[in-house]
Amino acid sequence: MSIKIALAGNPNSGKTTLFNALTGSNQFVGNWPGVTVEKKEGKLKGNKDVTITDLPGIYSLSPYTLEEVVARNYLISERPDAILNIVDGTNIERNLYLSTQLMELGIPVIMAVNMIDVLEKTGDKIHIDKLSKKLGCDVVEISALKGTGIQKAAEKAVALARKKEAGVPVHEFAAEVESAIRSVEDKLGMEVPEEQKRFFAIKLLEKDEKIQKQMKQAPDVAVEINDLEKEFDDDTESIITNERYVYISSIIDECCTKSRKEKLTTSDKIDRIVTNRWLALPIFAAVMFLVYYVSVTTVGTWATDWANEGLFGDSWSFFGTEVPGIPVLIESALNAIGCADWLQSLIIDGIVAGVGAVLGFVPQMLILFAFLAFLEACGYMARVAFIMDRIFRKFGLSGKSFIPMLIGSGCGVPGIMASRTIENDRDRKMTIMTTTFIPCSAKLPIIALISGALFGGAWWVAPSAYFVGIAAIVCSGIILKKTKMFAGDTAPFVMELPAYHMPTVGNILRSMWERGWSFIKKAGTIILLSTIVVWFLMRFGWADGSFGLLEAEQLDSSILASIGNVLAPLFTPLGWGNWKSAVAAVTGLIAKENVVGTFGILYGFTEVAEDGAEIWGSLAGSMTAIAAYSFLVFNLLCAPCVAAMGAIRREMNNAKWFWFAVGYQTILAYVVSLCVFQIGTLVTAGTFGAGTVIAFVLVLGFIYLLFRPYKESKTLHVNIKGIAGAK
Amino acid sequence: MPLTMVKVGEHNTIKKVGGKEETRRFLENLGFVAGSIVTVVSVIGGNMIVNVKDSRVAIGKDMANKIMV
Repeated sequence: MSIKIALAGNPNSGKTTLFNALTGSNQFVGNWPGVTVEKKEGKLKGNKDVTITDLPGIYSLSPYTLEEVVARNYLISERPDAILNIVDGTNIERNLYLSTQLMELGIPVIMAVNMIDVLEKTGDKIHIDKLSKKLGCDVVEISALKGTGIQKAAEKAVALARKKEAGVPVHEFAAEVESAIRSVEDKLGMEVPEEQKRFFAIKLLEKDEKIQKQMKQAPDVAVEINDLEKEFDDDTESIITNERYVYISSIIDECCTKSRKEKLTTSDKIDRIVTNRWLALPIFAAVMFLVYYVSVTTVGTWATDWANEGLFGDSWSFFGTEVPGIPVLIESALNAIGCADWLQSLIIDGIVAGVGAVLGFVPQMLILFAFLAFLEACGYMARVAFIMDRIFRKFGLSGKSFIPMLIGSGCGVPGIMASRTIENDRDRKMTIMTTTFIPCSAKLPIIALISGALFGGAWWVAPSAYFVGIAAIVCSGIILKKTKMFAGDTAPFVMELPAYHMPTVGNILRSMWERGWSFIKKAGTIILLSTIVVWFLMRFGWADGSFGLLEAEQLDSSILASIGNVLAPLFTPLGWGNWKSAVAAVTGLIAKENVVGTFGILYGFTEVAEDGAEIWGSLAGSMTAIAAYSFLVFNLLCAPCVAAMGAIRREMNNAKWFWFAVGYQTILAYVVSLCVFQIGTLVTAGTFGAGTVIAFVLVLGFIYLLFRPYKESKTLHVNIKGIAGAK
Repeated sequence: MPLTMVKVGEHNTIKKVGGKEETRRFLENLGFVAGSIVTVVSVIGGNMIVNVKDSRVAIGKDMANKIMV
């Protein structure tokens, strides 16, 4: 007989650690239907009949956040056989608030009090027998991190699920509230099963519109609500929230003995320094410098070089033995089976080169992800959002937007995915739209190419690229916030900060791998497909009077060249209206580092260095420095690569918003590049023409959008609810 | 007085939580209910980290202004 157990608890209660410990590698990660909230399921270790569902971390079963709606919809409609409620023992009062609500669902509940090891250290004691009596469910002590007690918790949960005996909530509210609940319960009728009546009655009293809509026949409870509100001089939802906390406070002294009095915890002491008004930013800058220094320059470069030049190059050394690279291996295999030339070219030059170039970034990204996973797991990342909030707030984003942008500087795909942690719909959409303005590691070769070819490797080119990215984010934030779509206040910043703790190596590696794997999957699907398409466009065309496969040197007759020629006039106002640059920009949509490789091929080199040193001369001959800078700006800001666009599409979860985001990015890129080229040419060469006038008009328009007054919208409502409710 | 005027390290009892309904509910679920004791751990530019019911919560200045102690 198969059993479903749901794992429920507050964020930061150690839920994910427990889930990993219970299921090991038997996990399936997906999304909850219709929303971008992650759904994790797994089979219990050693008992394949038991499925464990990891519910999103929630503070209550109210309808106010996407996670809470998803979790309670699952609990009401799927009705798991048991709920394993994980409770943070160091923070038990707040955690029990959710527990009292879970008890009302009429599903068997077992409570696991986590962090028992920390409690032992501080000398606090939780009397589980008393707690069990006061809440009406079995209680076990565990340490998810150390693995103590989890086996017992799992066994008890399974036994409870087999017994199918719903727990009966024993907590009670004030007499007036209880009589109102009873009166509503009586009105519920046959639609609601007996054991769920209390939950539905309370939700109706709380004026929960979603529950009302879900019911076929919601009774009218206005009388009860009115009576209660008069009696307590408050709204019903606050009354019930208060009653829960009053009950918890009344039992907490009996159930816990606290040894420490008025003493700052270690975590608070660290916060005194780390979030100190003067030290916060310098400490943050130092941490970021360290992360980047290690993952981008030292270990990162070593790993990328190994991947790009070794694994996806000619050969690499394995403990002194030379091992041929993947392209070499595939080539000799294809030769051995006598594969047709065109197919060989497709596989080697198209697929292996294209996908390999992208996969070459994986080792570096894994190192970056490991650092970020550590910062996240130890609790520092939450503080970063707090520290950055007052800066980001100034241009309409929230402090939580910083994390996606930070990750986005490594790769935009996980960066966009990291935007999930932002609850506010508007803030999240704005973050998704602006994250890819930050130069990701694949854009660095373009910067190196332009700076080397036309600016003699000037020191300021690379920093200026980051500056352009940051300026684009700041200006977009301000401009977008003044449009109708994003009008209104940003959501107030409220965020729980987990206590600092040392994460386990296993959890860091797991989180690193999850992010890295989603990138590899992208490379294997979207990038693979698009490299094949580009290869066909590049290698087929009309030459010598007939359509067919082209020689490598005949690239100017390819379909891609024709497309380039059509597109080129579009880019003439930007200063680089030749088909080669247009084609390079198009291939950049597959993966940004392709821009350099494409220039290489177009100028007759089969392979160029990462910074394209071989073609610096040709490139310098074909465009002016200003035009090249305009080309750089366009590539930095325009629609990101297909992998990132796929991530935008998925996270926006809406085609209209996806096109709006990509369209906005491309138009912004076009406008900025145009102004750079036209005004730059006016300054350096004194050329004045229609383009210059247009550029000045655009600048004025831009300034207007930037400084026009805010338009306050009356429809402040966040869409999250609509999406979740539409299920 | 609003929470923003409280000194670091002082213990205070919450009297009332104001503000937009959704945010108020969220704060209530996090333990910011009348009668709870709050302690300010740290303040940066008006944003603060406070301790309530043994958990640390970071709140923006605008929100802290609406919590009366």
